[in-house]
This record gives sequence, structure tokens and C-alpha cells, in this order.
Amino acid sequence: MAELQVLLQHRNVPGIDGIDVYESHGGYAGLRAALGKERQAVIDEVKASGLRGRGGAGFPTWIKWNGLPKSGPAQHYLLCNADEGEPGTFKDRELLLKLPHMVVEGMAIAAYATRSANGFVYVRGEFVESATQLRRAIDQAHRRGYLGRNILGHSDFCFDLHIHTGAGSYECGEETALMSSLMGERGQPRLKPPHGPLPVVSGVWGSPTLINNVETYACVPHILTHGGAWYAAMGTQRSPGTKIFSVSGHVARPGNYEIELGTPLTELIDLAGGVVGGALKAVIPGGSSVPILPAEKCAGVTLDYEGCQAAGTMLGSGGFMVFNDKTDIVALMRRTAQFYAHESCGKCTPCREGTRWMSRVLDRITAGAGRMEDIDLLLSICDQIDGRSYCPLGDAASWPIRAGIRNFRHEFEHWVRHGSSPIPGFVPPVRSHGPSPVPGRQE
Amino acid sequence: MVASSAGRFSEAGLAQLTEIVSHYPDAGGAILPALWLAQREYGGWLPAEAVAEVAARLGRPASEVQGVASFYTMYNMQQRGRHHIEVCTCLTCGCLGAYEVIDRLEQLLGIHLGQTTPDGEFSLTEAECLNYCEAATVVQVGERYFGGVNAGNVADLIDRLRGSDDCTPVSLSNAIVEAIVPGRAGATHG
Ligand SMILES: Cc1cc2nc3c(=O)[nH]c(=O)nc-3n(C[C@H](O)[C@H](O)[C@H](O)COP(=O)(O)O)c2cc1C
Ligand code: FES
Repeated sequence: MAELQVLLQHRNVPGIDGIDVYESHGGYAGLRAALGKERQAVIDEVKASGLRGRGGAGFPTWIKWNGLPKSGPAQHYLLCNADEGEPGTFKDRELLLKLPHMVVEGMAIAAYATRSANGFVYVRGEFVESATQLRRAIDQAHRRGYLGRNILGHSDFCFDLHIHTGAGSYECGEETALMSSLMGERGQPRLKPPHGPLPVVSGVWGSPTLINNVETYACVPHILTHGGAWYAAMGTQRSPGTKIFSVSGHVARPGNYEIELGTPLTELIDLAGGVVGGALKAVIPGGSSVPILPAEKCAGVTLDYEGCQAAGTMLGSGGFMVFNDKTDIVALMRRTAQFYAHESCGKCTPCREGTRWMSRVLDRITAGAGRMEDIDLLLSICDQIDGRSYCPLGDAASWPIRAGIRNFRHEFEHWVRHGSSPIPGFVPPVRSHGPSPVPGRQE
Repeated sequence: MVASSAGRFSEAGLAQLTEIVSHYPDAGGAILPALWLAQREYGGWLPAEAVAEVAARLGRPASEVQGVASFYTMYNMQQRGRHHIEVCTCLTCGCLGAYEVIDRLEQLLGIHLGQTTPDGEFSLTEAECLNYCEAATVVQVGERYFGGVNAGNVADLIDRLRGSDDCTPVSLSNAIVEAIVPGRAGATHG
């Protein structure tokens, strides 16, 4: 089994981040192909590809594109979600760093298909290097007529692309919070259907808005160059194409690996050089928000949306973390809970209070002062957050903890019974308050 | 439109602000980038006057701008060390030596997490996932990421940073502004 590189094929070609080398490797052929078609035919090509959003939810890309108004005034906004903050994920960072033109080209195609004249890439504030690379790519594309007015001589296609940087907030990756942040507000979510409008109906500044992930846009030039059917021939029937997995943790060769969807999970571990420092204990396949899979459940699991779901977890963003048998799962869950407690935006009570409560209970357990009831208390807090928060951050905070307890309950019980780790010699970090308080943010 | 106002923004900064505001249909959208600009112009943090200047120039209430600024962790509402060292301790880094890196840094700098050295050169905090987990342990200082940091080599990082003018809150804020404003970074490569 090998990688199947479509997006990452040329990532190590010197100069591929510049427009000349990018063009000489087939760059902007997808945009030219798109502009030779009717707008609807571009959407149909994406439909034929079966492409699903790579930001985590796997929603069919063409349905969103098709949802923007096709006639009447076109004050549409096109947004790219480059806020990559899901722990364990680092694909968008590398795409922007090494292949920024691929993202620009994908956005230009989407802008044409959806009649969007203005676009923003929302880059997370920490990704300064990636933002700098993207700046250079946008300027180059502008000068070569791929952005701006009358793109490639097309009388009816203008598209301006700007960069908006975040300033440190995981919640801003959630699409409605991202829109709030783009409009200059605190990064808090907005109501979605059935209580509020879909972004494609009314998003930023009340205009129809399309938002996709970096990797989703990066797939689009290839689909337009080679055709939707070509793309759909890769992967599985319901999860077509390739996907980038960010492999980290206890493996010999961590990094981004692009594989066909449907590849067995264990093969990805082999591709990354296998487990180091001990035997495999668990995998978190799709970023910190998805349920952890113990080693014994990994055999036979395929990495596609359906395969992960059948195994009781999710493909998510493709942040694939591998843990060996020296890993203390309770400490890992405690750190996970700290993350969500720190990143909860504070807007709704179940998430704001629930995440902190979970974090405190896990502090107590790993301080050796846990009570047996604490384990069920954690499960009950999960139930009280899951499905009850304003946006999915609350759900995402509860799923990993619940799965951690279901799959490794004996380790929680060990901690409570003995006041120490089941892993010989493991001492949890003494800092029990999580990341040090940030000025201005109430802890 | 950028309003005239008393303040500390430089000529160049004002020109950049005018460009930034033109990206958005209303001045509100420019609050985040304007705060980055202010953080550069005010020496790497946002004292009340910086917030007031952003508010005045964008024609928004200072309370609104303050509320926005304080939500985001990368706007410094108080002064930090010239090199603000943020060590990722999230899932992957936390399993691959991040806490030993912090212990060593605390020793080397003589400060604890959340503190600044008396000479103002370094401050130290824990970070959430910096999304470069392949290079665990990852440390961010200003605009730069340093990967593969461990207890053995972190002293070299301190030596590299000491006295240098990059990797500061000012150079970070400046790099972000330069990325936001068209036609600057790398314009000659086209
Ligand atoms: C708390 C939270 C954080 C998220 N963070 C990101 C992110 O960093 N990047 C991203 O693309 N999507 C993120 N998402 C998903 C987005 O809301 C949205 O589904 C995605 O940007 C849509 O693009 P896609 O259809 O191309 O996947 C996040 C969702 C939640 C609930
Ligand atoms: S866990 Fe440290 S960069 Fe992701």
C-alpha cells in the first residue's frame, strides 16, 4: 500500500510555492477549464466528483455551492476556513505553506461557479508563515490575471481575495463563529437552521456566503482539470477521492500522508513507519474531537467516513494521533478536557460550565483524589453537554471523554483505587490549571 | 473611511489601515486587523490608548473594541516579555516531552509559567495545539514556530533569541499586517 498523492504530489518540488513552477506543473489549468464551462457545469463536475468537505463534517461540497442564489444581485462572499485549530491536525498549514496557489485556484473556481466577487481566507493568527506565503501567492495570481477584474479576459467574472487573520481562538474555526470574527466581533457562534438562516442564504454582512476548508478548495483544481469521474474513481463509493491525514504521536515518521479514502487504518500507521516506544495502545483518527479507538478495535477499520463511523469514531479533520502503551489515557483525557475548557467561547452555559467541570473532575482524579462516582459523574456531564450546546464545540468536548471512559474504564478505576497511574512510573504534570490564564479572558 | 484622531499610528500605519478598511463593507470588519496594526504601533501590546485609537479611527465605541480585543488570546492586554515563549503541551506534544521542555525553561529562565524575567526579555506560557504536531514539541515565539524542541536543545533556542529583534510581539504583529496588506511580502518574486 502506498500513498496516493493528488494534492501533495509536488509538495517538495523547489519553487512550487511560486506561480511559475506551479503553472509548469499543471497549475491554473483547472481554472481555465472551469472558465470554459457554464457555471452550473462547474458545480455539476464537483457533484460528479462526490467531494465532501474536508474541514471535519464531510458535507457534500456541491450541495453548498448549489445553494447560493443563481440569479439576482450577486453580493456573495466566498470564505476559506484556514483556522486549523483541531488538535492533531496540520494539513491546512502545510498546504498554505507549500501549495498556496492550489488553494487560490480552487477558490477562484468556486467564486466563478457561485458568482462570488469577494473572498476572504481566514488564517489562524499563529500561522504567520502560511499567511505570508498566501499573501505572495495572491499577489502573483493577481498580477497574472487569475484574480481581480475580468479574470482571464472573462467579461463577467471578477473576484477579489483578501486575507483576514484570526488572533487565537479555536472556536473561530466553527463556521458561524468564523463569520462573527470576520465581521469584527468576538468569535462566538450564530444560530443555524432551524433557528437561523443557512450561511448560503445569509452569512457575512447578511449576504449569501460559501465557506469551505482549505483542503476542500485544494481538491477543486484537480477535479476541474481531470474531471469529476476521475476523482470519484478514487476512494470508496460514498467517500470518494483522497484525504490528507496528519499523523503524529508515537510513530517513526510523523507527517502528512495523502491516501485514498477507504485505506485500512493499520496501513496508515505502517506508512508512518509504525509505532515506536512500545506497542500500539490507541488511535485518535480524526482530531481531538473524535472518539478514541483502542488498539483492539483498530484491525479492519477503513479510513473513510462510513468506516470510521462503523468503528464508533469519526474521520473528522484527519488529525491522526497514535499512542503507545506507555500512554496514560486518563491523563490524555484530562489534557483533552483542558483544551475544551480553555477554548469554550463562553456563550452558552452547558459548554462553558460543563467543560470546566469535566476538567476539574479529571484534575481531581489525576491528583489521586478521585472518587469512584466521579467516573459516572463525568459521563453524566457529557450527556448534559452533548446536543445541548449552542454550537458543536460542546458536543466535541463530550465525545472524546465519553469514549475514553467507555474504552478505558479500567484505567480510570485504577486511578481512583490507587491514586496513581496504571502506567508504571508515569507521573502526570503537576500544573493542574491548564494553560496559564490569559489576560482579559475570565477563567 | 479612516477617521482622523489623536494617537500614535505612523504615516505608514495609517496608509495600511486605509487599505485594510477598503477590504470590508463596513469599518467593523477591520477591527481585528486594526488591532494587529495597533499592537505593532504600540510596542507589542494594547494599552487602553491603543484600543481607544482603533475605536476612534474606525468610528466604533471603545467598549466594543475592548470587548473584541480581550476575547482573543494573541492580543496582549498587558505587556509581555520581548520574547514570549509559548510551549505547546497539547495532546501530541504533551506525550512527547513538552513538560520536560517547560521544566528546563523554568530552570534556565528562573521563572514559572505565566511570568516574565525581571529584565523583560522572556515570558513563558503553555499553548494549546499549535497544529504542527509532526514536529512535537513545538514552541512558538512571536512569528516563528520552532519544532523538535526538547529538554536537551531548548537552551540553544534561548541563546538564539536573546537580544534578537525578531520573534517579538512587535515583529509578530508586523508580519501579520504585512500578510494582510496586498503587494508587499514577496512582491518581487512574481
Ligand atoms: C469547534 C469547531 C471548530 C472547527 N474548526 C474548524 C477548522 O479549524 N477548520 C475547518 O475547516 N473547519 C472547522 N470546523 C468545521 C466548520 O464549522 C465547517 O464545517 C467547515 O469549515 C466547512 O468546510 P467544508 O465543508 O469544506 O469541510 C470546526 C467546527 C467546530 C464545531
Ligand atoms: S500537540 Fe503540539 S502542535 Fe499539536
